Amino acid sequence: MADAITVPQVQPVQPAMRFMRVIPGVLLLATVGYSGKLLEQNVGAYAKAHHWTFPNIEYVLWAIILGLVISNTVGVPEIFRTGVATYEFWLKAGIVLLGARFLLGDILKLGGVSLVLVAIEITGAIAFMTFLGRVFHLKPKLTSLLAVGSAVCGVSAIIATKGAIEADDEDSSFSIAAILALGALALFTFPVIGHFLHLSDRVYGLWAGLAVDNTAEATAAGALYSDAAAKLAVLVKSTRNAMIGFVVLAYAIYWASQGQAKSVGNKAAFLWQKFPKFVLGFLMISVLATYHFFNKEQVGALANLSRWAFLLTFAGVGLRTNFSDMRKQGLRPFAVGAIGEVVIAGFTLVLVCGAGILFGW
Amino acid sequence: MSAELEAGKKESRWKLSLDTWAVLVAFLLALLVRTGVFKHIPW
Repeated sequence: MADAITVPQVQPVQPAMRFMRVIPGVLLLATVGYSGKLLEQNVGAYAKAHHWTFPNIEYVLWAIILGLVISNTVGVPEIFRTGVATYEFWLKAGIVLLGARFLLGDILKLGGVSLVLVAIEITGAIAFMTFLGRVFHLKPKLTSLLAVGSAVCGVSAIIATKGAIEADDEDSSFSIAAILALGALALFTFPVIGHFLHLSDRVYGLWAGLAVDNTAEATAAGALYSDAAAKLAVLVKSTRNAMIGFVVLAYAIYWASQGQAKSVGNKAAFLWQKFPKFVLGFLMISVLATYHFFNKEQVGALANLSRWAFLLTFAGVGLRTNFSDMRKQGLRPFAVGAIGEVVIAGFTLVLVCGAGILFGW
Repeated sequence: MSAELEAGKKESRWKLSLDTWAVLVAFLLALLVRTGVFKHIPW
């Protein structure tokens, strides 16, 4: 009988074929992103020429709106999907290149403060999300995924934790949908709250980096406020990302002790495997910039390359956000995520305002 | 079959992650800017 079982032959995809598959989607990202940039330049000028009162909408928001409109009306056709999924690649390349605009001293100074804030945020967020999960009677592993997603770094953290604690696919889909939906809401609410409270670029950037879960949305939420806020949001978010290995390891050890996951053998190798390598790339470029490996014009060129990479990312954020898919995931995990996010956003806002008063930002 | 599986495992062990690719591409771009291949990037 066993002889009758046939193993399906999986044909490996050739690298050239894989490369060809991403091209349509990358072109779509570039078209949507560049259209956002053209709209920023032209809509404002057109409104001014016709004496209309029209708010100045940044290319970031235009790119996200265009992507959202496509994704939620005609949808993203299959041929573009592989390429659209590369938005995360452009985000990480953009963050590494952004390192050229940071001097090592600034990173150490701000990184030190943000490390303390990140530690407080992670501890508070995990404790609160675990409490909420119990109150709403969510499955314990789903609660763990939501807690990691909101405390550390959104989708990457959920995927890393799912593998380590052997959670169900359904639980990770729930958590990812909740985190993405709340990230999309943060894009529209954070800048409004920031302007309403007259937050400085530094305080707002710290807040966006601490409270917005997914790296792409945190970068976009910062860029929607100002260039300086985006720089800080990326720095703080990268500090949070750097913690991913430790948090996932702690969860893996906990679930292994409950007999519901495999135990972790080599902990150092586990940490290295989970560590986001782009954080190291960002630091290395910043070291090179600090020691004048690049001249002023070259730093400007690298900063512009980083902006182009982020433009593709912002288009991707809109294109991959589909509200009807999110609705299908159910209300309870979303409610837990939403309550948790609102409380975490309020808590981190108090935290950064306190730090702002303490350090005179 | 087991040899194929072994080869597959070896290949996946050497496969680079998305993060690593992003870092490598960013470094390559930085090098091209540093060596003057890309002199001016407009925005």
